[in-house]
Amino acid sequence: MNALAPTGGGGGGGTDDLKEPPKRGRWVPYALLAPGMIWLVVFFLIPMLVQGGTSLQTGGLEKGYEFTWHFSTYWDALQTYYPQFLRSFGYAAAATVMCLVIGYPLAYAIAFKAGKWRGLWLVLVIAPFFTSFLVRTLAWKTILADNGIVVDVLNTLHFTDVTALLGLTEGDRVLATPLAVICGLTYNFLPFMVLPLYASLERIDPRLHEAANDLYADPKTTFRKVTFPLSLPGVVSGTLLTFIPASGDYVNAAWLGSPDTGMAGNVIQTQFLRVLDYPTAAALSFILMLLIVLMVSAYIRKAGTEELV
Amino acid sequence: MTATLTPQTGGSHAGGSHRRATPPAAHQLSAPARALRWLRRNVVTLFGILALAYMTLPNLVVLLFSFNDPNGKFNYTWNGFTLDAWKDPFGVAGIKDSLITSLEIAFLSTLFATVLGTAVAFALGRYRFRGRGLTNTLLFVPMSMPEVVMGASLGTLFLNMRISFGFWTILIAHVMFCLSFVVVAVKARVLGMDPKLEEAAQDLYASPTQTFLRVTLPIAAPGIGAGALLAFSLSFDDFVITNFNSGDTVTFPMFVWGAAQRGTPPQINVIGSAMFFIAIAVVIVGQVRTNRRKQKAS
Amino acid sequence: MSEQQRAGASGDVNLVGLSKSFGSNTVVQPTDLTIPAGSFFAVLGASGCGKTTTLRMIAGLEEPTTGQVLIGGQDVTGLPPYKRPVNTVFQNYALFPHLSVAENVAFGLRRKGRKDVDGPVKEMLELVELGHLGGRKPAQLSGGQQQRVAVARALINHPQVLLLDEPLGALDLKLRRQMQLELKRIQTEVGITFVHVTHDQEEAMTMADTIAVMNGGVVEQLGSPADLYESPRTKFVANFLGQSNLLDTRITGTSGGYLLMDVHGTRMALPVDRTAAQGDQVVMGIRPEKIAIQHASAADSNGNRNRIDGGVIVDSSFIGVSTQYTVRMPWAQEITVFEQNMERDHRLVPGAPVVLHWNPDHGFGLAPEPATASAAVKA
Repeated sequence: MNALAPTGGGGGGGTDDLKEPPKRGRWVPYALLAPGMIWLVVFFLIPMLVQGGTSLQTGGLEKGYEFTWHFSTYWDALQTYYPQFLRSFGYAAAATVMCLVIGYPLAYAIAFKAGKWRGLWLVLVIAPFFTSFLVRTLAWKTILADNGIVVDVLNTLHFTDVTALLGLTEGDRVLATPLAVICGLTYNFLPFMVLPLYASLERIDPRLHEAANDLYADPKTTFRKVTFPLSLPGVVSGTLLTFIPASGDYVNAAWLGSPDTGMAGNVIQTQFLRVLDYPTAAALSFILMLLIVLMVSAYIRKAGTEELV
Repeated sequence: MTATLTPQTGGSHAGGSHRRATPPAAHQLSAPARALRWLRRNVVTLFGILALAYMTLPNLVVLLFSFNDPNGKFNYTWNGFTLDAWKDPFGVAGIKDSLITSLEIAFLSTLFATVLGTAVAFALGRYRFRGRGLTNTLLFVPMSMPEVVMGASLGTLFLNMRISFGFWTILIAHVMFCLSFVVVAVKARVLGMDPKLEEAAQDLYASPTQTFLRVTLPIAAPGIGAGALLAFSLSFDDFVITNFNSGDTVTFPMFVWGAAQRGTPPQINVIGSAMFFIAIAVVIVGQVRTNRRKQKAS
Repeated sequence: MSEQQRAGASGDVNLVGLSKSFGSNTVVQPTDLTIPAGSFFAVLGASGCGKTTTLRMIAGLEEPTTGQVLIGGQDVTGLPPYKRPVNTVFQNYALFPHLSVAENVAFGLRRKGRKDVDGPVKEMLELVELGHLGGRKPAQLSGGQQQRVAVARALINHPQVLLLDEPLGALDLKLRRQMQLELKRIQTEVGITFVHVTHDQEEAMTMADTIAVMNGGVVEQLGSPADLYESPRTKFVANFLGQSNLLDTRITGTSGGYLLMDVHGTRMALPVDRTAAQGDQVVMGIRPEKIAIQHASAADSNGNRNRIDGGVIVDSSFIGVSTQYTVRMPWAQEITVFEQNMERDHRLVPGAPVVLHWNPDHGFGLAPEPATASAAVKA
């Protein structure tokens, strides 16, 4: 048995800063990373760069494209399509606020009020996901149809009069108006708000509520001073998970809206798949990406929770 | 408070309600006031139920209209009850092929994304290496990027490379956007795992390979399973990115998108509802099995 | 090398110049240590003293920076953990959550290629009194039961050495006492060398034949529990194992095997062979329970005992079996005295003038360590 292995084999001296148990072979993590990360570089990162290049090309389908540092594509795109960008971010912001207003009580109820039914509530939040979102979005065409029950009720309550004043609806209709698009966006991205909110609320020790009550905080103060601040990480990630995809969405605007409610996604889709003007499509999606990155980083800085990234 | 607490000679009634911790004034309230109280105490729950109703309403409409006998090409208004669509769910040209294509792509992209993503998650959760921050950024960015941007840019790459769109370009795209989600799911599990368990295995004569197969992998399995399920549903349901990279290949979401222009047969609702019920059944069966296992063990 | 000469019985553990550094931070200073086969050996120290790192180097979970580990005379320094004839009971047990109790216990045997594991597993579970729980998952057991599974999982492999890393740290006091006795019983039964790492001095003293007290990566003293308690050789040991009163002295001479010394003007004596220091500065230590306390008016001559006059009680607390007094000396130092509750003198209350005296043979001498002197006085 003696001298089975050479003394000090493997890592040798071992004076480097090892905090974890030594792992044999420094190439192992890179071997594990390589396939996945190469996939992301080739099919995510490089396409971004290629798209950047394409946005500066000029030419046409027949003649071919040429790289000409044609920055005016950006300028033209912004000039022509700024209403769509404004709508994108306006609708997305409205939907995010709606999601927060609807999603917070729901997440709160699941975390603190549902008791033994918690599992069922969670299943009901996730289950609608299992039906294709396109099929579910089509259902909203039926729900919001002119002369349908929902619209009749809203008309009787004069709700549509108020929204018409705000410019969200026209006449007695809901379908083919901004309100319908915002409703659809809210519906589609609500789970993305509820789940992170629930995750951060569920982590709160219920004894903290008792402690707050014991220290003379009434339920409202307890919520304001204890529960809500502790759920902030969930609020931040929920709003991001809602706002970002909502601002790039084009299905809701295409199906529930009208030509006057087009969003940035609709323009990109049209330019890319119908008009086949690839430089403009590339420039538009670059602008969309850039604006989102700017808004999100400003928001994160303000919210001060960089850890969730 | 003190006034009601002072003993009233015949107040055994009041005393009883004290012990039940009912506020002293409760039994003096009128019925509407009591209803208002109850409402105020349960307002959050009621609001939550309303929100749930909002979230499930479209599914009910989808189910209801799968029994509709539409008048014309579009299935948007109720016309009459029929079981026709359920009897012949694939009775529309192209719907069966699109479903098969979607399942094939979902299966393959789940497989690839799970294998690649699990490896990345293990590297991140178990090793220290240079370039960790860069790796995390590259994983995070695709999750926080609108799908149109990713779809359009990947489509632009394929155009520039003169690669023709179809099954394989869709698969490549799906693996790309599923990968990060798998990594997140698996990494959480790997990080939550006590590194002492692996040391214990080594202490009990398990070689590194045996340690990985017998301890690390089984413990990480729930995370890998969750990641795979997530990847499958993301891939199966994806429309936006697919739309930019599909060419003539039609997945089920692409079929629905096309149908919205040409006419929506109730078969779409049948398949949508069936997917819903299958998923619910899987959840329930899984729940029952874990419950039974728990009971058997104790 | 001379490993073969050093080879002892099959359970001997020899550490030769063993040290460990993380970067520039040396956690274990070069250490030579022999743990005899079949002994119950405890490594005692505060957290961060290097005791767990030492244990992990024996297990092979940590690579030593310098030195060698020999088990039964074999150099195992370069062997990975799964090739060493040692097993570990981990802190918080590290039971595999996905395997049943029986499969946890069988794990090591299976890795060694044994097929017929049912018999030994059953036997082992009986030994730790868990025969009926083999089918459960670890999460369904109580802390004490998990602890036994961890011991069974390690012992079933008949290691030459069993390493225990704070194995009782997660248990409550009563269970800990019970498990201490049980572990001791098991060790006597199987006769395997146990190396037990703990920060609990009472635990170490109850269980171990030999204790190594570690401080700052160095083994400060090695010996039997009684040895360490009666004759500590450093201030750290004197205060980590129980309490000590430490008095600064100046040597004035020797007489018949005793050092004669001056303690703030009082003459005292200390056996030369109980003194770990040289030179004319010695710190004299005396355990609180070895000091007799008497009211000043009742004090008799006390013969040739060490005696301090002029003390005043500043605090007394009744603890049940004893009463603990804090007495202020004329030079302002406070001395702790434990008095058995046999015949209580009711005059011994705060403010009372007292005389302290003790048998000179009960004192011990330490070298003065300026750096830690202030900390030591307080005890």
